[in-house]
Amino acid sequence: MNNQQRFHPIDTIAIALITFLSFIIGFLIWNSNSCSSNCWFEVQPQVKEFSWQNKQISSEDKAFLMTFNRPMDRDSVEQNLAIEPPLPGKFSWAGNKLAYTLEIPAPYGETYRVFLQEARQKFVGQEELGEEVEPFFSQFKTRDRAFAYIGSEGEERGRLILYNWTRQQKTILTPENLIVFNFEPYPQGDRILFSAADKSSGIDAIRMLQLYTVATGFNNNDREPTQQVEDTSLSNSEPKLILDNKKYQNNKFDLSQDGKTIVVQRLNRKKPQDFGLWIINNDNSIKPLKNSTGGDFLVTPDSKALAVAEGEGIALFPLQPEAQPLDFLPKFGRVVSFSSDGRAAAMVNYNTDNPDLKYTRSLFYVNNQGLQKELLNLEGSIIDCQFNPTATNLYCLLSELKQGDEYREQPYIAAIDLKTNKTTPLLALPEYQDSRISIAPDGLGVLFDQVLTSDKISNTNIPINDSGATIVTSRLWLLIPPSEKSSSHQVEQLPFIGFNPQWIP
Amino acid sequence: MMLLFFREIAQDNNLRLLLIMGLLHNAFTLFLSLLVEAMPFLLLGVIVSSSLLLLVDERKLIAKIPNNPFLGALFGSCAGFLFPVCECGNVPVARRLLLKGVSPGVAIAFLLAAPTINPVVIWSTWVAFGEQPQIVILRVIFSLVIATIIGLIFSIQKNPKPLLQRTLAKRFNLLSNTQANQSQNNGELTPVLLQSGTFLLGTSGQPQRMEGLLSETSSAIVTFPNKNKFQSFLNNVVLELRELGSMLIMGSAIAASIQVFVPREFVLSLSHDTVTSIIAMMILAAIVSICSTVDSFFALSFAATFTNSSLLAFLIFGPTIDIKAIGLMASVFKPKIIIYIFAIVAQLTFLLTLIYSYFS
Repeated sequence: MNNQQRFHPIDTIAIALITFLSFIIGFLIWNSNSCSSNCWFEVQPQVKEFSWQNKQISSEDKAFLMTFNRPMDRDSVEQNLAIEPPLPGKFSWAGNKLAYTLEIPAPYGETYRVFLQEARQKFVGQEELGEEVEPFFSQFKTRDRAFAYIGSEGEERGRLILYNWTRQQKTILTPENLIVFNFEPYPQGDRILFSAADKSSGIDAIRMLQLYTVATGFNNNDREPTQQVEDTSLSNSEPKLILDNKKYQNNKFDLSQDGKTIVVQRLNRKKPQDFGLWIINNDNSIKPLKNSTGGDFLVTPDSKALAVAEGEGIALFPLQPEAQPLDFLPKFGRVVSFSSDGRAAAMVNYNTDNPDLKYTRSLFYVNNQGLQKELLNLEGSIIDCQFNPTATNLYCLLSELKQGDEYREQPYIAAIDLKTNKTTPLLALPEYQDSRISIAPDGLGVLFDQVLTSDKISNTNIPINDSGATIVTSRLWLLIPPSEKSSSHQVEQLPFIGFNPQWIP
Repeated sequence: MMLLFFREIAQDNNLRLLLIMGLLHNAFTLFLSLLVEAMPFLLLGVIVSSSLLLLVDERKLIAKIPNNPFLGALFGSCAGFLFPVCECGNVPVARRLLLKGVSPGVAIAFLLAAPTINPVVIWSTWVAFGEQPQIVILRVIFSLVIATIIGLIFSIQKNPKPLLQRTLAKRFNLLSNTQANQSQNNGELTPVLLQSGTFLLGTSGQPQRMEGLLSETSSAIVTFPNKNKFQSFLNNVVLELRELGSMLIMGSAIAASIQVFVPREFVLSLSHDTVTSIIAMMILAAIVSICSTVDSFFALSFAATFTNSSLLAFLIFGPTIDIKAIGLMASVFKPKIIIYIFAIVAQLTFLLTLIYSYFS
């Protein structure tokens, strides 16, 4: 066999290509090894993506993700990641992704800077750490701290007021002709849902309520912090009518946590037996639920069900017309509040089945693990309760029955430690009132009002509270829980005349 | 004293025996798992190959393949979309294409690209690496580039005979002669169906397939009665499965042995920097011989500890070259051709993924 037969064109070209590629590979490897810094042929480990880069976050944002282009030494990253001002949190890893979950919501109205340097790459087969990460810097901002309330004096009387705490800026959200009765901010903080009647309705106003939404000017997370200033102008936008009062009288309403569903209790003006709950979807279509006559109700935090006080218990209905109840809790008479993560609820047991505890009320903590524990039992009322953002404490507005000739309840605010079940009365309020408390989404403090009411009713004396008494004047207060600066609760009067204050989430 | 000494030796021997038995047990488990994973794909490949034999007219097939070497190689690389077979199933199909007279460039491009450039593998890679779409896209692009380059190189070799393994080359020779003789007899170009199997010289001097199925028709597709057609299809499936199945069994046995005696941890410990982590993952891909339809899930388990470029190297190199499939390739190509393909694929994979590491 001669050489020509043995050696074919493919041999020549294959050997030539193998040699050529070997040279190129050799050159690249030599270049990588010989270059010490700023090499063209070398990329340092770096942060490829930071999920909160220049974003505006709120209490709904609980964790950020940091994606690296290389496997990193986790200890060196965790030790060298710095956030200013500090935000305590926990590290967890999935591949080249680092998740940092905040232990408490980031305080609002702050700009946070994130730094990472001196973290190192890690290779499986080598004890020694690899190259240093390219220094990384980024920042994110939390939403402005703000709350809304209903004014009770002067031109603000009966109107919805937004106060931007961070910018010290007050904005009247509703027009003069509307008297606002109740409101609930959307979870995204961009709008407020409120019930209001025309001022000309006079004492019939409570039966003439319509539902509206109005923009707050706070917008979604994707905006950069610099755009926030411009957004405040949006708060001057006109309210948008969601539900009219022509055929039905609108009573209580509740908004789901995803902001997509509104549940309203309605009464037919001509047929009083036509009374029940209606559901308004995102597309503004309204349908009767037809599965409940509608006692006190709350939409569950997963936005999929409704907890309704029915007879001597609480029924859970899916948010669909004519659906069968999902569950019935006979032990409890009312759901006071859900924790924001939906894992726990505060419920009231009216103790009707226990003769020893008759005329007393018990507050229960119920969680999704099946735990039901009694937090307190009292003869007075459980007016309102709310979980703090980390669901470790429950703040309640309670009342104590005062012994005497006439029936009198003394309201007070108490904090309940859910771990130890210890109830700490914080502040006594002068007289009983239909009040509500509102806990700041970032845990700053508890807003509540102190209202002076009158039984005299006239056209000019609106607004009125839930009991029908006319609100003469009112003050707003802030209760600040213990912190590093102070070991006890602090109470601060706010310079606003209004009632029903609620934090914007 | 002596009794104690002998007891110790006996205990030592028992331990060794247990260790060896454990290793053999592991090797056998790996061998069976490789075989169970690959056999259905080989069967699929053999069925596609047999269908090509009986249903596809080689003249029409060749006429449809672009004459331009680059376009031909590209066509071959993308043909996996038509025959979605894994790296075990592509060998019988590539072999059939070569026997059908398709250019070696096209057949080799198909052989290298089909295990990756096919809908099943692209989908499974997307499921595993959906969060890093660049890995999915680059797997397809780099595999396409490598297969096309190698296809282009092999298109220089017009005559496939020097590439083929001796037995196959003989068969190819015999069939080519048959084709030439028939053309002479008929006075026109009417290629006889090229098929594998055992051939006998008939009375007319024409080779006849032992199974007696090669008709003397001038048509490119054999026009068998339906029953005979099905019979010949089955015969070919059995024949090819026997031939290639034995190679697969040998390849799986070698791959299982290497995996037991060269532990995976040892290969992974070779990774000291960007370059060595690419090499480690390429070696791992060759050794584990995992099928391309599921290899992305295997690679995903290394996402936390290996660079993206080395994962990409695993995903590109594994489907083209693995120890289990080398046995199958040896039934088609000469050893030196396998070495060329292996070397060029390895170099191109390394080069492309190293360049990718500069930008990722």
